[in-house]
Amino acid sequence: MSDVRSASPNLDAPARKMVNLTIDGHAMTVPDGTLVVEAAKLLGIEIPVFCYHHKLEPVGACRMCLVEIAPGPPVAQAACIRPVAEGMVVKTQTGMAVQARADVLEFELVNHPLDCPVCDKGGECPLQDFTFRHGYPTSRIDGPRLHFKKPIPLSENIALDRERCVLCYRCTRYYDEVAWEQELTVAQRGVHSVIASQFDRPLTSNFSGNIIDLCPVGALTSRVWRFESRPWDMQHTESICSKCAVGCNVTMWQRRGQLVRITSRENDDIDEGWICDRGRFDYTDVNDPARLRLPHIRGVKATWAEALTAVADGIKGKGSKLGISLPQDLTNEEGFLFRRLLEGPLRGAKVKMHGRTALPAPSGNQLMIKDIDDARVIVIVASDIENDSPIVNLRVKKAVSKRGAKLIVIHPDGVDLDRHHRTVHIRNKAGEAAAEVRKLADHETLLEALRELGGPVAILYGDGRGSEDAADLVAACAELAGKVGAKLMPLYRGTNERGALELGVAGWDSLEGVEALLSWGPPPTAGVPASVKFVAAWDHLPRPENQDAAVVLPATSFAERQGSYTNLEGRVQFLRPAVAAEAPLKESWEVLCELGVALGLNLAYAGIFPIQREVAREIPALAALAQPPSPDPEPARVLVGPAHP
Amino acid sequence: MLTEWFGRANLQKLAVYEGLGGYEALRKVVTGMTAAQVIDEVKASGLRGRGGADFPTATKWSFVPKDHPGPKYIVVNADESEPGSAKDRYLMENSPHALVEGAAIASFAIGGHQAWIYIRGEYDLPFEMLRDAIAEATAKGYLGEHPFGSDYPLDVRLYRGHGAYICGEETALLESLEGKRAQPRSRPPFPAIKGAWGQPTAVNNVETLSTVPWIIRHGGPEYAKRGTEKAKGTRIVTVSGDVQKPGNYEIEIGVTYRHIIEELAGGAFPGRKIKVFWPGGSSAKVLPGSMLDTSTDLDGLKALGTMGGSGGIIVMDDSHCVVKAAARLLRFYAHESCGKCTPCRVGSNWAVRTYERILANEGSGIELALLDRVQQGLQGGRCLCGLGDAAGWVIQSTMAHFRNEYEEHCLHQTCSVEKALVHV
Amino acid sequence: MSALSSHLLEEIKALPAKYPQPRSAVMPALDLAQEEVGHLTPEVMSEVASALQLDPGYVEGVATFYTLFHLQPTGKHTFYVCTNLSCTLRGAEQIVDRLQDAIGVSEAGQVSKDGLFSYEEVECLGACEYAPVCRLDHRYEVDLTRAKVDSLVNDRRLLRKHIKVARASDEPAEPPAKKKPVPKTRKKSV
Ligand SMILES: Cc1cc2nc3c(=O)[nH]c(=O)nc-3n(C[C@H](O)[C@H](O)[C@H](O)COP(=O)(O)O)c2cc1C
Ligand code: SF4
Ligand code: FES
Repeated sequence: MSDVRSASPNLDAPARKMVNLTIDGHAMTVPDGTLVVEAAKLLGIEIPVFCYHHKLEPVGACRMCLVEIAPGPPVAQAACIRPVAEGMVVKTQTGMAVQARADVLEFELVNHPLDCPVCDKGGECPLQDFTFRHGYPTSRIDGPRLHFKKPIPLSENIALDRERCVLCYRCTRYYDEVAWEQELTVAQRGVHSVIASQFDRPLTSNFSGNIIDLCPVGALTSRVWRFESRPWDMQHTESICSKCAVGCNVTMWQRRGQLVRITSRENDDIDEGWICDRGRFDYTDVNDPARLRLPHIRGVKATWAEALTAVADGIKGKGSKLGISLPQDLTNEEGFLFRRLLEGPLRGAKVKMHGRTALPAPSGNQLMIKDIDDARVIVIVASDIENDSPIVNLRVKKAVSKRGAKLIVIHPDGVDLDRHHRTVHIRNKAGEAAAEVRKLADHETLLEALRELGGPVAILYGDGRGSEDAADLVAACAELAGKVGAKLMPLYRGTNERGALELGVAGWDSLEGVEALLSWGPPPTAGVPASVKFVAAWDHLPRPENQDAAVVLPATSFAERQGSYTNLEGRVQFLRPAVAAEAPLKESWEVLCELGVALGLNLAYAGIFPIQREVAREIPALAALAQPPSPDPEPARVLVGPAHP
Repeated sequence: MLTEWFGRANLQKLAVYEGLGGYEALRKVVTGMTAAQVIDEVKASGLRGRGGADFPTATKWSFVPKDHPGPKYIVVNADESEPGSAKDRYLMENSPHALVEGAAIASFAIGGHQAWIYIRGEYDLPFEMLRDAIAEATAKGYLGEHPFGSDYPLDVRLYRGHGAYICGEETALLESLEGKRAQPRSRPPFPAIKGAWGQPTAVNNVETLSTVPWIIRHGGPEYAKRGTEKAKGTRIVTVSGDVQKPGNYEIEIGVTYRHIIEELAGGAFPGRKIKVFWPGGSSAKVLPGSMLDTSTDLDGLKALGTMGGSGGIIVMDDSHCVVKAAARLLRFYAHESCGKCTPCRVGSNWAVRTYERILANEGSGIELALLDRVQQGLQGGRCLCGLGDAAGWVIQSTMAHFRNEYEEHCLHQTCSVEKALVHV
Repeated sequence: MSALSSHLLEEIKALPAKYPQPRSAVMPALDLAQEEVGHLTPEVMSEVASALQLDPGYVEGVATFYTLFHLQPTGKHTFYVCTNLSCTLRGAEQIVDRLQDAIGVSEAGQVSKDGLFSYEEVECLGACEYAPVCRLDHRYEVDLTRAKVDSLVNDRRLLRKHIKVARASDEPAEPPAKKKPVPKTRKKSV
């Protein structure tokens, strides 16, 4: 990873000097350090960019953003690398500026294949849009174009088309700066420069997919969604990723009832516009033709009423002889209804939640993901966060390489954070993380970092995937936090583990010895216990483990679900169904209500909102459910560009 | 002045260099001067950088922050790759100690302790000579923890390039020194604030720094006695191409190109006429033979739209075709384009392909117009660094002075130069 | 089997400490590797990368940028012939033609049958006053003429033969006396 050295502005720094300037005659005042492109955006003036990306260090490579700036030499200047200055006069519409940009666009197209009709980017392509708004109206390009071998599979999921590439280096800069990996780099030089994965080996990073979103042209496209549909042919829905507890914001794209792609949706509090490859590519199960649509009893199609009665009969009154396996991505609403069942007819049942850690419910002093930015010292204990909480891992990397935080890792094995040459890695023996944390309070590395950098300190801890005594580790981290004035982040893994903990339903029981099993979601990790005589499986896919189930209920997938998750820092976020749960599928909250009725409980709600209001009243940690945000977010602002030169 | 001791046997040996007065300047600096005094002395000399940009050296040093808490570096640009320029090699091969001494003085002047000499990989002999010179000076206690008994550690190190013209561009050089692909950085921040390894850095050319010991020995005002009003002192020019005595010559700034080319370099071959010359490396806009009386004054050249650049004077006589020469240079710029910025990466290659068509007698008015448009697209701030501009200047200046030759090729598919030669 | 010797890998691992930041060691490391193996294969680059704790892609990016790193095999003696303007004006093209004939290849990068020679056309070598010039075996050969090209080639052929003969008769091969080139100085004016 490169240690970034540019004068990129720290926009969050308190009380920054304000600077006056004009852009195209509009006077404005912005904080010192703001880049000219960003200032123009505030006025709604479009300065086109390829290489510039607000989450990457500016490099001034593509020269698309040329404008005239006074005072300064009488030549075109790149707006993406120039911070504003007092009295600066920026002109985007002078003959020189307009021609400079048109020239650059013409250069971009000299070797471009112009295969827009069959390009997945067509319709949402900045190169198309800028050419339309800033380019010469006629083509002066003759002669043969340069050719490259294409398309090149970079991995199972990503294809590279080198002829379409404009070499903005967003992808490789992202890889190096943000993900700290160099498996994607630029090879050769000059006009022969190409984006390359090391010696054509497939990319292996868990963060590779972000380069598709970053690419301003159709050079990097998804192989999962290739030649499937035009961008304008899809509907999109703003939702939340269901794959882990970080809760990255995503946009899900649907076409004719199929989930066709998932892209990132920037939320600076959480993901800053990045998602991991699990979140991006792991969705094809939604469209699986084998999806369960109808309830079955002993392999025979049944009505919902028949099936739910059969389930109720099989699990009623079993006490501790009933085992329930919970999915990691049950919503707060589902969890709340489930709690009503547990408190009533299913009292005493053993519950095991999928994918969760051994960590207990949070005990306060919460570190938010965003706080990591400003931490001067970061301590990560008993978690390989690259896999456990991928996007938090990127936030840590940012704090270290862009903001100079000191990183201390306590983990028995090598982790990807070791890639920074200043990372201090204390290799503990498995099971002794708590002891290392207690030693850390007097550790020279930490004390020196504190002396040199001061606070704040951030402590993030996992459960060592079972290797650590969770209660002791939590206590040790709390002690350390007390001594150095740190905030704490328990790194839950299950998607809604934290919500389920707050609702009191995140069971951690062993299911051994139960006689009846309600297998909600994927089958229990430890397998179906031998003692089980009755299985009711509620899942969205048929699975070999459920072959002998007495009853099978079809479940919605994450793409058809509504409700909310609580992420690992305690933030409540709402997911929206990208694909409609069409009959005979039923939404899970509805199924739970009906199951409750079949079990003799009066569980009647007219829809999900009354449930949310009730949850908000009863559970303080979920008070946010009282006011789900409007499903129609404000449309993005359209920047106005000039006509052709 | 710079070459006053050249020709002495074994000048590359410390004993010889020292016997003539070498390392006197460094001794004086570390034992009796402040950094500010060194900068003042160099300021008084009026020395301007000899790497191509003519920037006043003392001013560059004074931009390096004085109160920076971490390390600061002098980086010596010994990547000399500009076509036509060989003077840095000449200096290093003759007097490596002068560069080592100059680099150490410069480090002192900016309040740094380490100088890195980035030398192009092809310069094996100069590399070895510098390596030996540094070893000798360190062994003698002129460099190291206590140079000349002082408490000011000074250290000079070497780093080899591996074949890329762009490494001469100072920010690309810094990237390369950091172990990366040598692609220029955008500025701000300038190297004086964030240079090598993120620390304040002054990048200076070999000739610039080799001049510094002389200035310290004799005083800035003495140096400023030579040269023109604003461009002081002497410089080394490399004369190559169609002249009888090609070579490196130290000249007083302000003499004319006629003096250099005709008197020092022996002029054209019998029966030939000088058609065109590049006054300061291939990146300087060409001047026609009729302008041989142009002065080497840096500002005068700037006023003409060209530059003294790296001091490499390439002379071409009437037996060569300007279009072919320009095509050759464009091939150079395209080959050396780092590929970072769009105009240079695409434009230089587009120009090459256009020249290829023209020289294959497939040219037409379209190709003429195309060259004109590519040259515009390469200049005027379009590119990130000077390489792209230089490529544009080659096209523009040769077309401006020799449009007739271009038209012959493009419109009539002939080359009068070639025809004349066949005649002879 | 690793492509690089273990002592070389140790040497490479020690490089980063010599620089203010570890990445500066990449080029010196590639240099060492190329010296040992002759050219940089993906295996060699990957081993250099792992010795420096980098992804191979990084090293590939650097190695493919600089022309002095060879990704393909070269002859034992590579002629780097300058064909930039100053040398071309003084006959570099004829030098290249003669060289092709002398070593028996038809294009740059091709290795002669005996594996001894290859040539590259390079950009300005910074010795324009001696045009035409080439770099050969870490030294510059200046003021080239066709005859000089022939003798540069023949000298090396003979030398190889001697070494072979010497080896065959199991006598210690006499290393060729290295001519210490004296820097030339041309007349100056001031
Ligand atoms: C494309 C390009 C190539 C350059 N090549 C060299 C070079 O080979 N040697 C050099 O000293 N300066 C070169 N320069 C100039 C350097 O960027 C820089 O200005 C110089 O090293 C500063 O030293 P000075 O102030 O002593 O002249 C080059 C600049 C550009 C834009
Ligand atoms: S002008 Fe050429 S050499 Fe300079 S940054 Fe742009 S591409 Fe690289
Ligand atoms: S957006 Fe400014 S140079 Fe690319």
